[in-house]
Amino acid sequence: MPNFIVQERDQRFLLFEVLNVQSLFSHPKFSELSEDVASMVLDEAQKLATEVVYPTLSTGDKEGCRLENGQVYVPKAFHACYRAYCEAAWNSIDISKEAGGQGFPRILGTAVREWFSHNFAFLSYPDLTQGASHLIDGFGSEEQKNKYLPGMVSGKWAGTMCLTEPQAGSDVGALTTKAIRQPDGTFRIKGTKVFITGGDHDLTENIIHPVLARIEGDPAGTKGISLFLVPKFLVNKDGTLGNRNDFEIGKIEEKLGIHGSSTCLINFGDNGECYAELLGNEREGMKIMFLMMNGARLSVGMQGVASASAAYLHALQYAKERLQGTSIERFKDPTAPRVPIIEHPDVRRMLLWMKSHAEAIRALLYFTSFCLDKWETAASEEEGESWRGLVEILTPVCKAFASEAGFQVADMAVQVYGGAGYTQDYPAEQLLRDSRIAPIYEGTNGIQALDLVGRKLAMKSGAYFRGLLEHMGQSLGEFEETPATAEIAKAVRKALGRIEEAAFIFMQASAEGRLVVPLSYAHPFLRMFGTVVCAWLLTWEAAVAAKKLEEAKSAGKALEVGEDKEAAFYQGKLLSARYFATNVLPQVEALFQGIQSQDLSMVEMHEESFA
Amino acid sequence: MKLLVAVKRVPDPEAKIRVKPDGNSIVTEQLKFVINPFDEIAVEEALRIKEKLGGEVVVLSIGPSEAAEQVRTALAMGADRGVLVKTDGAYADPGIIARALAEVAKQEGFDVLLMGKQAVDTDYGQTCGMLAQILGVPCASFAYKVEVEGESKRLVVVREVDGGLETKLIGMPCIVTADLRLNEPRYASLPGIMKAKKKEIRQISLEELGVEVTPKLRVESLEEPPKRQGGRKVGSVEELVRALHDEAKVI
Repeated sequence: MPNFIVQERDQRFLLFEVLNVQSLFSHPKFSELSEDVASMVLDEAQKLATEVVYPTLSTGDKEGCRLENGQVYVPKAFHACYRAYCEAAWNSIDISKEAGGQGFPRILGTAVREWFSHNFAFLSYPDLTQGASHLIDGFGSEEQKNKYLPGMVSGKWAGTMCLTEPQAGSDVGALTTKAIRQPDGTFRIKGTKVFITGGDHDLTENIIHPVLARIEGDPAGTKGISLFLVPKFLVNKDGTLGNRNDFEIGKIEEKLGIHGSSTCLINFGDNGECYAELLGNEREGMKIMFLMMNGARLSVGMQGVASASAAYLHALQYAKERLQGTSIERFKDPTAPRVPIIEHPDVRRMLLWMKSHAEAIRALLYFTSFCLDKWETAASEEEGESWRGLVEILTPVCKAFASEAGFQVADMAVQVYGGAGYTQDYPAEQLLRDSRIAPIYEGTNGIQALDLVGRKLAMKSGAYFRGLLEHMGQSLGEFEETPATAEIAKAVRKALGRIEEAAFIFMQASAEGRLVVPLSYAHPFLRMFGTVVCAWLLTWEAAVAAKKLEEAKSAGKALEVGEDKEAAFYQGKLLSARYFATNVLPQVEALFQGIQSQDLSMVEMHEESFA
Repeated sequence: MKLLVAVKRVPDPEAKIRVKPDGNSIVTEQLKFVINPFDEIAVEEALRIKEKLGGEVVVLSIGPSEAAEQVRTALAMGADRGVLVKTDGAYADPGIIARALAEVAKQEGFDVLLMGKQAVDTDYGQTCGMLAQILGVPCASFAYKVEVEGESKRLVVVREVDGGLETKLIGMPCIVTADLRLNEPRYASLPGIMKAKKKEIRQISLEELGVEVTPKLRVESLEEPPKRQGGRKVGSVEELVRALHDEAKVI
């Protein structure tokens, strides 16, 4: 099947030539892996993604979900997809071996996930299950692990995450769902949750809901929140399924996109009989949930990468085929042959914008996942801390920056298609609709920006932030030495300086009691930050590409772009980085000027003046 | 049941094939290779027979060292072990391939030897008949359905023929070639891939098998198909008929 999903060559380049993920395979945990095996894993993921999952992108969208007699039904085509996905164990690729998973490094889990994330309506079901399994694996009692994990890891059962309530969205601490203690140590849940992805469906025989609730008598705010496991069907001691638990699906949402993903309103405990088990310690619900949310935030960032990649590849194909207008040289000649629109400079501008953004956010997500593995396999605590710092700082950037870029690239794909892109005859409009959710859920991008500015910059007295700046600064030194990347590396270093200055402005304003400055400018700061990190990653890639071209040349293999696919690829990396540095990176300066002004027009504006 | 499956390494049918300047081979650098899709169906059928009746599935391939990748893929689907006969750059025509397969089949012994009805790169479809002749066993080509008849050593093979289906009863050992609708091959699983890494692939050369390596076929030249010309609108049926008759010369 043709591949309109992942820029295959770029994926391999990033994994094996830039990040050098092979370095992980010498760790005892991953000793069974090799580049060959990793490569085979990616081949097989591609096969399943292109042949089975991709064809359901459009059918799933058109059919959507339905709620009948309290049961949600997903698009029919998702059933075969789900079975194939779980039978091949893709759903448990980075779950630990102890928990029954495949125990692959995160970075390979991430790379595999990119193949399936284009159809996030489908992937949301196994992906949330994986997140919930991580929770139970990390915090469940032995009994809970034995009871729930085998079913969830095999894909026979599913999982969700139930946080949001009608009055408690971004402000989770305001939740009102109650947990009532029972003499046998279990709880009964009462309350309403909304926007629950995969809250009900007919893909599995049981669904285990991790639910945030407040035990009666516990304090208000996030400190009084505990986490509970609420199964759809109670699980008997022998593992068989018992009674249907006391909760109802009130409705499913009609949404802009991801129509194949069921978004449910759940009423827990209308009859006072909703069985629940505490997961982890009382009043530690938020802490535990954050663990799952970090993984989920990377998943949503990956959705941005997959949207960008798929939108770009579709638009590229269309631009090569669609004939319109004549070449620039013969534009005055009405009899000149029509040319594919990829020959027009304005279309090329859009394509390169899309290509450079798709590749930049792929690098951002993969680098962060790789840091997670480096953290988990570090030889010393100190080394682990330095990798952890990068993960902490980059997680909100991955979520927000990649989800925004994913939508923007999908938007530009529609533009490349022109009028055709606005119709349902082509997949561009669906990619646009589907990708719009990513900047919203799993903590809005506004919340991500506050997390970056309010929590992450100051973490460990700013050590994590300084760690990232040093890490980038050091490698920029190398790229400045390489003639092919010297110019762009200098531009990135200058922009990096602006990040530091902006952070300093925030720090000073906060010290002077003007917290409203960082709050008002958190999002522009995150955009600056994301742009600079992406420019740095593209420069890194360009430096590797330049080296490869150099090596080929000195080995006597003068690679010609027109003749040789590899040469064309590496040349593309150099130009992609140059384009980003010259056309996108300067936005950092503009954003910085806004921050530097500390102008507070948005705060000074009277509500009435927002007329 | 001892089941042998022959798989061929072929360029990805999705890939764009380019002819080398020498005019009688194709550019293989940076070309993606896969198992011949019909052979993949044969692997699936062998696995299904094994799952029903027990036994062993051995995958055979004749080709360059890189063909080990395709053998490995079949092992990841669930086959037990592999044999790779290395041609190392030499051109192997269907006759050489059939003789090499015959030698390995004699060494291994088998009840059923399966393969695709043809390879999608050269489309010869010759190997099965030649191999059956060399081994002196019956063969059933273009299988649409395969069943083992009770406890007997016979296979019921339903074949797709022009205008319908034909059912054949053949005694084992025998050769069966898979047609497109025989089954839908499974996808390799992650645990399957990890297990495949540890499975044995025995590698031997054509010389070691004692197979004569001089091909009886020679490739004279390869050409890319002519570029498709754009269509044109005709004004009337008469004009259409005239164009088909005088220009396209198809009627």
